[in-house]
Amino acid sequence: MTLSELKPGESGRIIHVYSNNLRKRIIDMGLTNGTVIKVKKLAPLGDPMEILVRGYFLTLRKAEARTIEIERIGVDL
Amino acid sequence: MGHRIALVGNPNSGKTTLFNGLTGSNQSVGNWPGVTIEKKSGKLKHQNFEAEIVDLPGVYSLSTISLEEEVTTKYILSKSMDLIVNIVDASNLERNLFLTHQLLDSSIPMIIALNCMDIAKAKFQDLNIPKLESLLGVPVVPITASKKHGLVDLIRVIEIANYEPRIPQKRYSEAIEKTILQFQSIVNDRFLATRFFEDGINVDKYSEHDELTKLTLQNALELAKKDYTLDFDMVLPDERYNLILTICNAVLTRNSVEIESSTDKIDKLLTHRILGLPLFLGIMFTVFYLSFGPIGTFITDGFVWLIEGFFSIIIGGIESVGMAPWVSSLVINGIFGGLAAVLGFLPQLTILFLFLSILEDSGYMARAAFIMDRVLRRFGLSGKSFIPMLIGFGCSVPAMAATRTLDKSEDRKITTMIIPFISCGAKAPIYGIIAGAIFASHSYLVVFSMYIIGIMVAIMSAILFKKTILKGASANYLMELPEYRMPTAKNTFLHTWERVKGFLIKAGTILLGAFIVIWFLSYFGFVDGTFRLLSYEEIEYSFLGLIGKALLPIFSPIGFSDWQATVAILTGFVAKESVVGTLGILYGVAGDVLESGTLLYPALQAAFTPLQAYSFMIFALLTTPCIAAIAAMKKELGSWKWLIFALVYELVVAYVAALLVYQLGSLGIGTLLTVLVFIVVIIIVFSTIRRIIKSKGSTCGSCTGCGIEGSCDIKSKRK
Ligand SMILES: Nc1nc2c(ncn2[C@@H]2O[C@H](COP(=O)(O)OP(=O)(O)O)[C@@H](O)[C@H]2O)c(=O)[nH]1
Ligand SMILES: [Mg+2]
Repeated sequence: MTLSELKPGESGRIIHVYSNNLRKRIIDMGLTNGTVIKVKKLAPLGDPMEILVRGYFLTLRKAEARTIEIERIGVDL
Repeated sequence: MGHRIALVGNPNSGKTTLFNGLTGSNQSVGNWPGVTIEKKSGKLKHQNFEAEIVDLPGVYSLSTISLEEEVTTKYILSKSMDLIVNIVDASNLERNLFLTHQLLDSSIPMIIALNCMDIAKAKFQDLNIPKLESLLGVPVVPITASKKHGLVDLIRVIEIANYEPRIPQKRYSEAIEKTILQFQSIVNDRFLATRFFEDGINVDKYSEHDELTKLTLQNALELAKKDYTLDFDMVLPDERYNLILTICNAVLTRNSVEIESSTDKIDKLLTHRILGLPLFLGIMFTVFYLSFGPIGTFITDGFVWLIEGFFSIIIGGIESVGMAPWVSSLVINGIFGGLAAVLGFLPQLTILFLFLSILEDSGYMARAAFIMDRVLRRFGLSGKSFIPMLIGFGCSVPAMAATRTLDKSEDRKITTMIIPFISCGAKAPIYGIIAGAIFASHSYLVVFSMYIIGIMVAIMSAILFKKTILKGASANYLMELPEYRMPTAKNTFLHTWERVKGFLIKAGTILLGAFIVIWFLSYFGFVDGTFRLLSYEEIEYSFLGLIGKALLPIFSPIGFSDWQATVAILTGFVAKESVVGTLGILYGVAGDVLESGTLLYPALQAAFTPLQAYSFMIFALLTTPCIAAIAAMKKELGSWKWLIFALVYELVVAYVAALLVYQLGSLGIGTLLTVLVFIVVIIIVFSTIRRIIKSKGSTCGSCTGCGIEGSCDIKSKRK
């Protein structure tokens, strides 16, 4: 599954980041393989989404989130 | 002489705050990523120690994508500094240390300023600084830049720092070190080798290699790729983050229970699913209501009353002394007439600037971008474009500079070209004085409509550009949401004062000069074959009168009925404030007019019908910006071709819009109805354009050109 499918409050672990316009930046901002992320919320219009990663809040579009493969995990950050 | 010290760190980590603290200057800080967009330098003086401090735009990584970030990377790769002070936000250690880790690969001497210790202390149970120091191998100084804590310690460490090149430690796994060594044998520099490892041939932007070296590098890269199962460009970042995690775990003692931060609580409301959007619109409306509504007007009236009183006394003095007629005309009509009209708006502008400053400092700007991204994406822009647009309500010049934070050149171009439609602070007096005179109790609604129309025209232009000359523009969006910070009184005051000061300086220099010229051109002329000072009744024979009258036919279709209005609009080219000033000079805020209530109102009421007034304001709103903004535009667009295109476009749009308003209104349907019709027309044009986009454009974020909206996400397609 991909990051875009996670609901607010759910967490996941990154398996792979597929290529997209921002891949390099996404990786540098800490979304490397194995990183645990938690979806905080969606913007009022449903997109972009806000995630908690490495202790800070990052917002990204679903278009990019769709290129981030994750596995859902139960634990909370 | 003296060392050159560069401040390097993540966006929003407090670099500019520290820069101001070290150099005693007042560069603007703001709580959103991308406040500093050019490098700035200042002097650090402490007892006998002197150094040059350079404030660089914030970067998350040395692999850059936006223009402002390139400034920083270039600067570091060229090793133009003797020492790097790396600012690390202690409350966000993990991500901040990524850049630190990259910097440690270079041989440039380095000190870490661990900032935001106040937040970190509240957030973590403990942060072991000596341990961090030993793990990183460079000095670490804890500071709280916003409270000026620890700055003296930092200066002392800077003073006694070792300015010899550092020898970067070997820190990575064997495989990675081997690859680095391979690259290093080609480019002769460990730092450059690691940059090449991470950023590939992009590095070439910053350092020149000959073709042969490039080829060798490329081959080495292909070869090295085989050694890793992980994607090659993720190898080094992944390793870095693993090492950073070890460091963080060693130095940080986290609180056992995560407390809900105040940012969380505020965001629950401000970016709420349902309430977020209405709240956003509410906040915007409130700001303009307070600035231009009854309260702002009330304060302004009081202020105008003071100015009047002051000027009357001086004018009385001048008249009693009995100076040469041209001197008293210059002072009364030229200087006071112009300045009084402009200065009257100081209170309202101050309120507007105050609110903009609070919005910037609190961290709400980034939320606004987050909320608006979905909307702006339709127009080929990114939520991030919204920040320059918001700044544009203050002044177009910094707004255009702020477009440099956008990643893509198309995005930057579009945003730069539509910013002039966003009504800047200097245009506010135009609406203020005309709406105040003509629309009285509805004036703030009329003013608000100007802002709305400006925004709509800006958006429609963005769509148009995206569909025609900048086809396929699709902006990226990836943004950190900074923690909310209570805007400090000092910061808010400074920020507001900066802008007010800018306004006053402009009034005292450019505008004053312009008013004198305008006065001369409008109070001197040939009457009965002699060149002389004209009386107020004769000014239509002046130079400006002749020019205005010559141009009147062009402007009469849009409702200008006298040459004064034409001339006033023309002088807006110098600065938008001078439109009001010129009205002041030409409609004679002199002598007895001054004593008869609010400065210009009676003269304006005589000169404009409501319809003409509205048309005048529309034209003033949409026409080409002032000369300062044009210069900024040239800088951002980079070419004359684009600049001229943008200016012509704006002129045409302004003319057509004003024509529409005036001609529709002249059909005799009343002003309010005209406004309605105008807005409906805009909406129709707007939705037509939208339909065109839907039928052939792509609006799905990063994917360009599949043509079907939403098709990238099959699941969400036509919910
Ligand atoms: N609480 C706290 N806030 C800080 C500190 N240093 C800076 N800030 C705030 O952080 C925000 C960003 O600061 P700025 O200097 O513009 O960051 P820059 O983008 O790195 O130049 C501003 O709102 C500052 O007031 C600090 O030590 N503690
Ligand atoms: Mg800054």
